[in-house]
Amino acid sequence: MNDYPSGERKKQCSDESKCFELLESILDGDLKDSGKEILKEKLAKCQPCFEHYHLEQAIRDVLKTKCTKHAVPTELADCIRQKIQDIK
Amino acid sequence: MSEVQRRKYSQEEKNAIFDGEFMPHIDSMYNFGYRLTFDEDDAKDLVQDTYLKAYRFINSFEQGTNAKAWLFRILKNSFINEYRKKSKQPTKVDYQEVETYYNSDDVHYQSTSDLRAESVKDMLGDEISNALNSLAVDFRTVIILCDLEGFTYEEMAKILDIPIGTVRSRLHRARNLLKEKLQGYAHNMGYNTDEEEE
Ligand SMILES: [Zn+2]
Repeated sequence: MNDYPSGERKKQCSDESKCFELLESILDGDLKDSGKEILKEKLAKCQPCFEHYHLEQAIRDVLKTKCTKHAVPTELADCIRQKIQDIK
Repeated sequence: MSEVQRRKYSQEEKNAIFDGEFMPHIDSMYNFGYRLTFDEDDAKDLVQDTYLKAYRFINSFEQGTNAKAWLFRILKNSFINEYRKKSKQPTKVDYQEVETYYNSDDVHYQSTSDLRAESVKDMLGDEISNALNSLAVDFRTVIILCDLEGFTYEEMAKILDIPIGTVRSRLHRARNLLKEKLQGYAHNMGYNTDEEEE
């Protein structure tokens, strides 16, 4: 994950609010192509941006992969189809 | 998503849309209903209600558009208009209260926690689920739609009937609240959140 040694990144972000908003939009897929270049630059040069990005990414990943899924009750689909038949 | 009545579908077309485009989403719909109500029977009622409405108003569904988003919008409206009304259980945070309290779309993005990506990755599914479930329903909803169901900001705006700017800011606040919860778990579990000792 550490493509660049952290010593090469600046310790303070010059505009944290703007940067973080941008990073979050990129993670949510809201910025497509233009996002990739900006992202590369931020992650290479700014430590707070680097850390924020990886934390936000980890949170999205665990939400997507680890949240409990509930199995649909088997009779539900049949029950719906039956009710649709009745109103047809 | 427009309510404009299009040409009427034939019976075969209706069946094809219902089976081919609506029913495949029953799994996501049920999970959405369950995460809103925390109750199996209420979730079943919401899903059934949604599918009956979807069938009744099938002519206002434009084929080739996003059926999942269309169905989610119906379910969310049923939840607000019917379930919340009849439910005796008061919601932890009142919808209006959240809306007025967090009225502004203008959010200052900043680093709010010393939570580390590594601790988050080590967390258990139950911890993640509990943290999500503890959020007020409006915050929970945006995270479900975005992170669990993969909707775009634009689709979420349509499902929730709010501007995209509000989607973005509500999502940001929701994740910050979630981070606070997770940070609490991280401390309890003795995960390394920061070098400082309390
Ligand atoms: Zn930065």
